[in-house]
Amino acid sequence: MTKVLPSLKIAGVALYWSAMAHAAPAVDGTTFFETKIRPLFIENCQKCHGDKKQENGLRLDSKAGWQNGGDHGAAIKPGDPENSLMIKAVRRIDKNLQMPPKHPLKDEEIAALEEWVKMGAPDPRQGTSAAKKGIDMTEGRKHWAFQPIGHPQPPTLAINTWSHSAVDCFILEKLQRAGLQPSPAADRLTLIRRATFDLTGLSPTPAEVEAFVSDLAPDAYARLIERLLASPHYGEHWARHWLDVARYSDTKGYVYAREEKMWIHATSYRDWVVKALNDDMPYDRFVQLQVAADQIEPAGSPHLAAMGFLTLGRRFLGVTHDIIDDRIDVVTRGLLGLTTACARCHDHKYDPIPTRDYYALYGVFQSSAEKVVPCGLAKGTVYEKEWNVREQKLRETMATRREEQSARVRATVKEHLIAQLELEKYPEEAFGQLLDLNDINPVFVRRWKSYLSEDEKSTDPIFAEWHALKSKGVIKDLHEAAARYGTLFADIEKQWRALLKSQPDAKALPNTADERLRGVLYTLDSPCYVPDEHIANTEMFFTASTVVEIWKLQGEVDRWLMQNADAPPQATILVDRSKPSTPRIFTRGNPLTKGAEVPRQFLQVLSEENAQPFVNGSGRLELAQAIANPSNPLTARVMVNRVWQHHFGHGLVSTPSDFGKRAEIPSHPELLDWLAQHFTLSGWSIKEMHRLIMLSQTYQQRSGSPSDAIELTKVHQLDPENRLLWRMNPHRLSFEEARDAWLAASGELNLIMGGRPESLFAKQNTRRTLYTLVDRENLPTVLRTFDFANPDLSIPQRNETTVPQQALFSLNHPFIASRASAITQRLKGSDAASKISHLYSLLYQRTPTEHEMESALNFVQLDSAPLAQTKQPNAWQYGYGEWDEATGRIKSFTSLPHFNGSAWQGGDNWPDEKLGWVQITATGGHPGNDRQHAVVRRWIAPQDGNYTLTSSLIHEPEPGDGIRAFVSHNKRGLLRSTSLHQSTEQINLETIAMNKSDTLDFIVDIRDGLNSDQFLWSPMIKLSGGAGSGGDIADQAWFANKDFDADTITLLPPWEQLAQVLMLSNEFMFVD
Amino acid sequence: MKYPSSILSRRNFLKRSGIGFGMLGLAGLLSEKSGLYASSATPHTHFTPKAKRVIHFFLNGGPSHVDTFDPKPALLKYASKSLPQTLITERKTGTAFPSPFKFQRYGQSGIEVSELFAKTAQHIDDIAVIRSMYAQVPNHEPSLMLMNCGDSVQTRPSLGSWLMYGLGSENENLPGFVSMCPGGFPIKGAENWQSAFLPGAMQGTYVDSQHTAVNKLIENIHSPHANANTQRRQLDLLRQINIEHQRGRIDPRLDARIESFELAFRMQTSASDAFDISHEPKHIQDLYGSGVHGRQTLIARRLLERGVRYVQLWHGAGQPWDHHSKIEEGHRKLAAEIDQPIAALLSDLKQRGMLEDTLVIWGGEFGRTPTVEMSGNAATLGRDHNHYGFSTWMAGGGIKGGTVYGSTDEFGFAAQENPTSVHDLHATILHLMGLDHEQLTYRYAGRDFRLTDVHGEILKNILA
Repeated sequence: MTKVLPSLKIAGVALYWSAMAHAAPAVDGTTFFETKIRPLFIENCQKCHGDKKQENGLRLDSKAGWQNGGDHGAAIKPGDPENSLMIKAVRRIDKNLQMPPKHPLKDEEIAALEEWVKMGAPDPRQGTSAAKKGIDMTEGRKHWAFQPIGHPQPPTLAINTWSHSAVDCFILEKLQRAGLQPSPAADRLTLIRRATFDLTGLSPTPAEVEAFVSDLAPDAYARLIERLLASPHYGEHWARHWLDVARYSDTKGYVYAREEKMWIHATSYRDWVVKALNDDMPYDRFVQLQVAADQIEPAGSPHLAAMGFLTLGRRFLGVTHDIIDDRIDVVTRGLLGLTTACARCHDHKYDPIPTRDYYALYGVFQSSAEKVVPCGLAKGTVYEKEWNVREQKLRETMATRREEQSARVRATVKEHLIAQLELEKYPEEAFGQLLDLNDINPVFVRRWKSYLSEDEKSTDPIFAEWHALKSKGVIKDLHEAAARYGTLFADIEKQWRALLKSQPDAKALPNTADERLRGVLYTLDSPCYVPDEHIANTEMFFTASTVVEIWKLQGEVDRWLMQNADAPPQATILVDRSKPSTPRIFTRGNPLTKGAEVPRQFLQVLSEENAQPFVNGSGRLELAQAIANPSNPLTARVMVNRVWQHHFGHGLVSTPSDFGKRAEIPSHPELLDWLAQHFTLSGWSIKEMHRLIMLSQTYQQRSGSPSDAIELTKVHQLDPENRLLWRMNPHRLSFEEARDAWLAASGELNLIMGGRPESLFAKQNTRRTLYTLVDRENLPTVLRTFDFANPDLSIPQRNETTVPQQALFSLNHPFIASRASAITQRLKGSDAASKISHLYSLLYQRTPTEHEMESALNFVQLDSAPLAQTKQPNAWQYGYGEWDEATGRIKSFTSLPHFNGSAWQGGDNWPDEKLGWVQITATGGHPGNDRQHAVVRRWIAPQDGNYTLTSSLIHEPEPGDGIRAFVSHNKRGLLRSTSLHQSTEQINLETIAMNKSDTLDFIVDIRDGLNSDQFLWSPMIKLSGGAGSGGDIADQAWFANKDFDADTITLLPPWEQLAQVLMLSNEFMFVD
Repeated sequence: MKYPSSILSRRNFLKRSGIGFGMLGLAGLLSEKSGLYASSATPHTHFTPKAKRVIHFFLNGGPSHVDTFDPKPALLKYASKSLPQTLITERKTGTAFPSPFKFQRYGQSGIEVSELFAKTAQHIDDIAVIRSMYAQVPNHEPSLMLMNCGDSVQTRPSLGSWLMYGLGSENENLPGFVSMCPGGFPIKGAENWQSAFLPGAMQGTYVDSQHTAVNKLIENIHSPHANANTQRRQLDLLRQINIEHQRGRIDPRLDARIESFELAFRMQTSASDAFDISHEPKHIQDLYGSGVHGRQTLIARRLLERGVRYVQLWHGAGQPWDHHSKIEEGHRKLAAEIDQPIAALLSDLKQRGMLEDTLVIWGGEFGRTPTVEMSGNAATLGRDHNHYGFSTWMAGGGIKGGTVYGSTDEFGFAAQENPTSVHDLHATILHLMGLDHEQLTYRYAGRDFRLTDVHGEILKNILA
């Protein structure tokens, strides 16, 4: 049954019902309501439209409820079922308006409703107020996280032989109450490894370990922490934690091809975060700069880079609403631990965040525009000349196009007025129409719309006639009026042009009335105005071809600045628009259904009662100050919890970016407050937090299991997850930490700081993983596999998964094997044992146990004999030589020296200095530069028999003269020859008799000249009529392409295999 | 059945799944003990699944519904004339453009299909054609995101990732969600199979099916510096070292990591085998055809057979079906590339008894206009994007074959009868897989997210 049919049926039933109603004695309205309607409402509607919930602002538990209606207006028009929303909804004709949402009413129920409405909707229900129950702020503020930060004192414990540091007292009290005790302190090696990874993300060097282990001074550990806090690598490591929250990416994500995909300012932001942390910048300043540096710092200040926090998000295909949503999300979850974005479509379901609060913040960002500015001095002048040329071109083009576009709108007043009568033809921003010059652009139609509505509200409207006619709604009259306005404004435009000709510096038309009309066309508020902003803000004002043109020019500028090391660093900041806009609630998050206006303002739950709206510009600075205000209960709590989380593996609050009602309550609420309080009192010093935490005995505990069996059973029963911290949590290295540690152990880690990113597996990239290119559109699989933070989303805590793809990478990716090779090169020692000791020292900073030594020695010594035997039989060889016409054979076969993972060739570079373009791949190749360097793919028969050859040889390129190819048998000479240019030839041979170890050569040379000689040729050779026929063909066939990789394994030597194993061990990957 | 769920800590996972203990079986599936894949004898779904696996032919670029599965004879009447009403799309379009392709009735159901999919049409009695799909905007990028991830703009997990999250894979030696596209990425690249806030392991594994060498198909499946013997020897040492290291330590992650290496070792063989179609008999290879689409479809069947949950087959890099001009030539060429493989797959699945629990999906991100696209004043002989109405079809597990659901208007511009949103489609797919789209949730940023957001109605009329 379709959805259309029932409504026809319903109509029938309705007729039937009304017939009944008329036939039967007149039913009293109230009785009808009580028997038919009230039960129906209670059963089907009031769960969502009643006392508890008011979906869409509608409640149906009182007469006033449906009279006042919800977001869409009155639910019922008494006496007129056809025009009653409720009847439309229950008939389910409109896809977007179907009630009840899940289960349609029965036909007779619908008919009853229709009848009731027709009767005039008699409804005796009174009393219940229809007023919407908004969020109860007073109630909402009672949640612990919104309470002011307390002043808890560390508990005084009756028995405390452990430690008297405040942190420890809080921890110990909870342990004692649970009947648990803390673990003993970890040993020195564990401590330095733990502290070094925790603060710098690097492993300690063997020398550092040695120095610390032998330092018996009582303050040795405290000095270690100070040394690490002073290390510049501290900032790098903790910056990465912050970048997860800031959804950092070096690229914009998917953008249309016209736009440069690299962010010009990502590097500046990343390096700013590193420096700010190294400098221990007070966190309140750290926060404010990231939200409003434009209003705190002077032009050119390096701190402008901080605003990347707001501007590094995805581009969301240029859709403003989503860009702003992303900014609200990163600010509120990132800085406040509040999930405000939940209030985009409806009041927050759990937390006291009404939709109006979301749009109050929306207004702040809507009133701010993106701008790219320098955030530091140029290091030289080389970049300048060309930069000026490109910048000039961009600016001029932008100015020209803006003026052209404005002029077009000024010249089409009539069309824009008529457009107001058919707004449905002009879709919202997300609807990507390709516009050309003659199109009426929806953006201007909407600007006219709001202009006209402002005008109508004014005391002396310019468009008074239009407004009057509009209220009457006679289309013909409106069209005529539009034409008159068109002529009128064309005349004004003409006057103004004429005046400018005679007085180029004229500021106004002489006649006041005319000047007022000119204002409609020319002021900043004019609906014809195109803002003078970065193209990122103004795409929708232009035609498709102009957008492409300007982005290309912008890309030229951006690329030039990115390529030139001496160019000044760039920041993308937000600046307040000259006229901030007052946001309107988008009902249900839909920009097309605009609701009430709301002032730009801070979140109510974090504000005083009756707090005032923001007054300065967009209000962004006030927002930043409100977040960083010490009386704000969330900012400090959220940050100390993040610091705690990265030291212990999980936070005191287990959802670090959600402190709302659905978050678990903190494991140690007093400790959280004590830390938060100390944080603000210490001048918001993050390093002070590290000291407090790391100097505690809690942090210095062992991470292993209790040696005592009873104790072990107890902790497993009472606190298996270690929420009370009866031990330290072991830490698994993140991908960044692991990669850095591998490179450090192999002696290759390049510790140079800052600057442009490099792609992960670029050959020369031995820098810290922090500087790896983060391309959010195409993040390397290995990063995703190892739970790298998704750069599209603010990630407070990474997932931690263990999947075989991680192991596959570790085993098979050349990156690890190369590190294993490099570390083996470093090994010093006269014998195997001392080399193994060195290897253990480099990787684990300790000496191997006797048993470990024995296993390692066995591994490297028992190697070569069995390994050589297990190497796969090599049916194919790859070489080069000169074709000899006379003998029908290659003159001499020389093996190609280098395999790059996908091709055999002369060397790492292709073409090679000596061997030129010679190359053989799985499916084809390229001959060398002259006839002396034909490429030869050789197949060696594994057994006696008759073989069949099947292959196609393909030469595609048009330039040049093509190639020559030969198939040659070591005993029988030439079997087949051909010359090929831009064509395909089947090269198939039946019954080639071969003895074991005979060879077939597949030879290609350049013919007469070197030009576009690449070819495809991957022969398949099959044993015909041999033993075991009828089985799987793969067993008796050799495929040049399939066998290619299998044959080209260059086994790692045993020492490197050993190094690889040790690099992959759990000891390496986990920090106790 | 195997579940990858315990790749996250059990606790963390449960907290986020919003399912709660006991409500859905997932709770029971998560084993802290084994740390890696926990197994269970029966699938813990919300209700009995009709389908266990999905194969999705994605005709990226937007195949024209009026030239394939939605005949519109009325366009002939208006040929070279303006339609009474046209809708705004991305570009300008002109007069009515009758399909240049012949439609014909097929099967017992007599459903009309164009000559482009004549071979597929032989199976029409197994197929339910939805002729009333609609999307939100006439642009590729948002529509691809909507079709794959349920939201046009925001970063959300793809359907395949949700299935991985809800059901896991049945084969621990293979990735459970595979996206194949010959020659490169479709528009929007890896975002089409992203896991967003779900764990990275649940994203689709991309395979460039252009490659014929098995080793090239999956990243890191082949070692360039070890063979089975040397690797086994390494792993034996690694295991020994790791087991010694475990002494005095308690951490399920240590076990998990040890296991993951063994699993990886096995995966190298089994994955290579799954992707190697040379093991297929000749008559099967011939059935699918020798082109790249025949090959990738046959690989897909091998994967499905081995328990891979969701395979998506893209037509090609970029947006091949996007025929703004010369649609007759363009559509004819592309349809010829996949008609045979699709028909072959349907026959092959049926013959193996797999069609009854395999869901086959066909479609693009939107359809095309029934009017001709204009370039200035000249007709391009192509069609513009059309999100107001288009066709998708499904066959196999739990689908009532020989069904037409919904319709577009007389000309094929907009969905008219039973308009079907992408959310409805997703709700139905999850339903067929045994999952309630309203209950399959994941908590991120304070919200319990669903594939269908707050929408979605199950298309009951196409269910068997």
